[in-house]
Amino acid sequence: MLGFLLILIASAFFTGIIIRTKSIASGRKGPGIFQPIKDVVRLFRKGVVYSQTTSFIFQIAPTIYFSSVVMAMFVVPFGPSKGIVSFDGDFIFFAYILALGKFFNIISAMDTGSSFEGMGASREALYSLFVEPAFFILMGSLALITGHTSFQGMFASLHIGSYLSYALALIGTFVLMMIAMIENSRMPIDDPKTHLELTMVHEVMILDNSGFDLGLILSAGYIKFAVYGALVVNLFIGIFPLQYSIPMFFIIQAVLAIGVGLIESFMARFRMGHNAQFIFALTSVSLLIFFGALLILGKFA
Amino acid sequence: MSNFSDWLNGSLIFSLVMLLFIAYTKQKYKPALTLFTVFINVVITSCIAFFALFQSEIHVSIFNSTFWGAIPVEIDGLSGWFVLIINFTALTGIFYGSGYLKAYDSANSKMSMHFIAYILFHLSMIWVTLLHHSIAFLIAWELMSLSSMVLVIFDHQKLSTLKAGINYLVQMHISVIFLTVGFIWVYFETGSFSFDAIAIFFNSNSNLWLFFVFFIGFGIKAGFVPLHSWLPHAHPEAPSHVSGVMSGVIVKLGIYGIFRVISFLKADFLLLGEIVLSISVITGIYGILNSAIHRDFKRMLAYCTIENIGIIGIGIGLGLMGIGNNLPLLYYLGFGGALLHVLNHSLFKSLLFFAAGSVYQQTHTRDMEKLGGLIKTMPKTAVLFLIGAIAIAGIPPFNGFVSEFILYSGLLSALNIADITQILLLVLSLAGLSLIGGLSVLAFTKSFGTIFLGNERTPLNNNVKEVSKMMLIPQYLIIAVMLSVAFFPHFYLNTLALILENLLTNSDFIVPIELNKYALQIANINLYSLLFISIVAVMWFFRAYILKNKINKLQPTWGCGYSAPNAQMQYTGKSFSKSLGKIFNLVLIEQKKFKELKKGELFPKNRQYNSYYFDFFEYRFIQGITHRLVYSLNYFKFIQNGRIQSYVFYGLVFMLTIFILTVLNILK
Repeated sequence: MLGFLLILIASAFFTGIIIRTKSIASGRKGPGIFQPIKDVVRLFRKGVVYSQTTSFIFQIAPTIYFSSVVMAMFVVPFGPSKGIVSFDGDFIFFAYILALGKFFNIISAMDTGSSFEGMGASREALYSLFVEPAFFILMGSLALITGHTSFQGMFASLHIGSYLSYALALIGTFVLMMIAMIENSRMPIDDPKTHLELTMVHEVMILDNSGFDLGLILSAGYIKFAVYGALVVNLFIGIFPLQYSIPMFFIIQAVLAIGVGLIESFMARFRMGHNAQFIFALTSVSLLIFFGALLILGKFA
Repeated sequence: MSNFSDWLNGSLIFSLVMLLFIAYTKQKYKPALTLFTVFINVVITSCIAFFALFQSEIHVSIFNSTFWGAIPVEIDGLSGWFVLIINFTALTGIFYGSGYLKAYDSANSKMSMHFIAYILFHLSMIWVTLLHHSIAFLIAWELMSLSSMVLVIFDHQKLSTLKAGINYLVQMHISVIFLTVGFIWVYFETGSFSFDAIAIFFNSNSNLWLFFVFFIGFGIKAGFVPLHSWLPHAHPEAPSHVSGVMSGVIVKLGIYGIFRVISFLKADFLLLGEIVLSISVITGIYGILNSAIHRDFKRMLAYCTIENIGIIGIGIGLGLMGIGNNLPLLYYLGFGGALLHVLNHSLFKSLLFFAAGSVYQQTHTRDMEKLGGLIKTMPKTAVLFLIGAIAIAGIPPFNGFVSEFILYSGLLSALNIADITQILLLVLSLAGLSLIGGLSVLAFTKSFGTIFLGNERTPLNNNVKEVSKMMLIPQYLIIAVMLSVAFFPHFYLNTLALILENLLTNSDFIVPIELNKYALQIANINLYSLLFISIVAVMWFFRAYILKNKINKLQPTWGCGYSAPNAQMQYTGKSFSKSLGKIFNLVLIEQKKFKELKKGELFPKNRQYNSYYFDFFEYRFIQGITHRLVYSLNYFKFIQNGRIQSYVFYGLVFMLTIFILTVLNILK
């Protein structure tokens, strides 16, 4: 429950911090931290324009997408306190419920019959399928080290091990953050500020969404970032008491957001054609964690 | 006990009588008669299967004559489980089929042939799972292959259909050769054709090689890579209700065979498990990769069947490793996940084939690039296909997720074993299974999006409308069962626990009795799916409430400033999976046919561009072998010369040889 509330709060400012960092880095004054939330609230007040080509899929898809992200948020624990939903193997549920949202997002893009939106949909499907092995190997290695298979069990008992487990947590942070960037279509993979439909990934999928539906999609994106941020936080806080772990949560989330903003300011995006290979390379980073886990357990004998 | 054999004999005799009736009645009564016959057989065999599952195993024998000897029929939980799956799919299949075939009111004899073959097909599948006698088993197995071949070549005027049929026939007989070799081997070692002899064989001989012989034999039926190449040819050409049943259950009988052999195994579980697991992960990834690129939607579904056989195989491999490592939990999760996925796949795959068949019946094309926007003309079929697609991608809240979740739990539960190679294999399988999941999202968003969404890509000549109730009702039935698996998994998992407690007959592995304890842990996922559905419902009502007083408009799709977009400019399915095909071009072999633009060709003319995908194993390996075979067998053409005199002569020579060999006491 605690995790749920904290993620909600973090999602309110996470994207705002990214945008703020980018504007400061490029020497602009920029909008306030809560501007994304204000945008969403404004969208919620508007009516909706549908494409004539679309069917009911287009209308229900944003709702299902948003609900899937909310459901994923339920699964994420916070330190020793469990998520609202917690059971053995809940990270599988986490990944698959997000896949359901993605499924509907993709077919809603296909529903418009546009010549561009399918392109984004195809890329999103391709990229997210390459993310899966990285995520599962990472989680599998954590399960291997800790002997637990739920998020909460894994994160809570990660800290009993040696210093090497902190090194693994660092690599894990990298993998989770990259996954967050890919899932949210941020900079090295996709440029949310690009102006050309041909080079967009996520943005082009939602070209035809408007009003309430667009608001749902945007806020789902904000929450998703905070959810992955919370997973990263969980790698570090372990079983610290709450008076330390809650400030740590916000500090780590803010650091991550600033990091994302800096990356977006100073890095060019990757070539579209090589994105898939790059994402697949994440799996090998995950494998590194796996071998580290084997090292810790002394399986190389 | 003996009345069970009476019931079985009764169903046989009843079916034979009905076959005559079907052959000689009017066209319009044939479907109903067939449905009736199948229904009666389903009722009889399901009762027996339920008895076997929940009461006790049944041991009877049939044909107690001096000529045959008593043929043992043993119905245990495993047989019962498969009988129920076969029955449900066969019943929905013929229900759907009688609606589907209305569009083909053609030749009378063709229809009779089809319906008779269907009844034989259903019965032979049942008998395959009941018989415990090698020769009787092979007869039933052969009858199943032949009757399904007749079903496949329903459109026998088409060259491609005949070709697919012959391909199927040949491959099924290669499978029979392996099975026969296996049974004969057992016979020579033990002197018995009973299945119990296999257990005796395994007690005293190496388990590996006989298992491999059977694995290849049954694996051809099941479609493990690289033995899969009949599937993508036979499934598209068969009428859709037949492809649904074939993909739903006939390939599962290969799985049944493998399970049956496993139940007799004595040793080498670990090695066998590792091998089956590795083959299965490759099968799964290979199947779904091919499924993602093909534009013929029935071929795409056929490849997806291969993928699901891979997923089932992962379960089998895990179960074997569970026995080898003496981990009851892994045994339960592996085999249980595999058996549950057998059920699940038979449900959603037949649903998908039926929905695809409805599309084919209305549009007369299997090429998804010609379709589009069918959700407006066939909304019910679209929703049915969508549900099937979500379920088969293993996504909650449908039943596919339940079985995949069990397999994932199995993979994770075994991670604490000591052996590093096994851990490596398990983690790579974990990654493989997740990759399969991601790929199937791509494959099914592509096919659903291309067939049902957007605009019509090419104008279809006929008037497309929603299919008849006769075709929709069986699909609703399937969805009802799918939801029961998704939301009441306890029942199914407990049943599986019953089966698995008595599965192994020959090994020293002690199966704990309280397997259903594990079932309760897993079964909670239905609650979380319900929670998700309620979140969606709340969000949906909230959205409706908010939007009630707003101005909502309909506008054309945003064309990036281009004001005259047409349906041809839509994103195609081919481009949707193009980048995937490029990344995996090592196994996804694409061939293009087009003429390069020549120098000085200034004005645009009509041009053609063709692109095909080839099956890697078929193109690279099997074709090479068959070409060489054809080349060398050419020299023996003189034997088959078409003269009846020579054939009589061959018969004579054969009989003389047997006679002489017997007289000389060489052949005993």
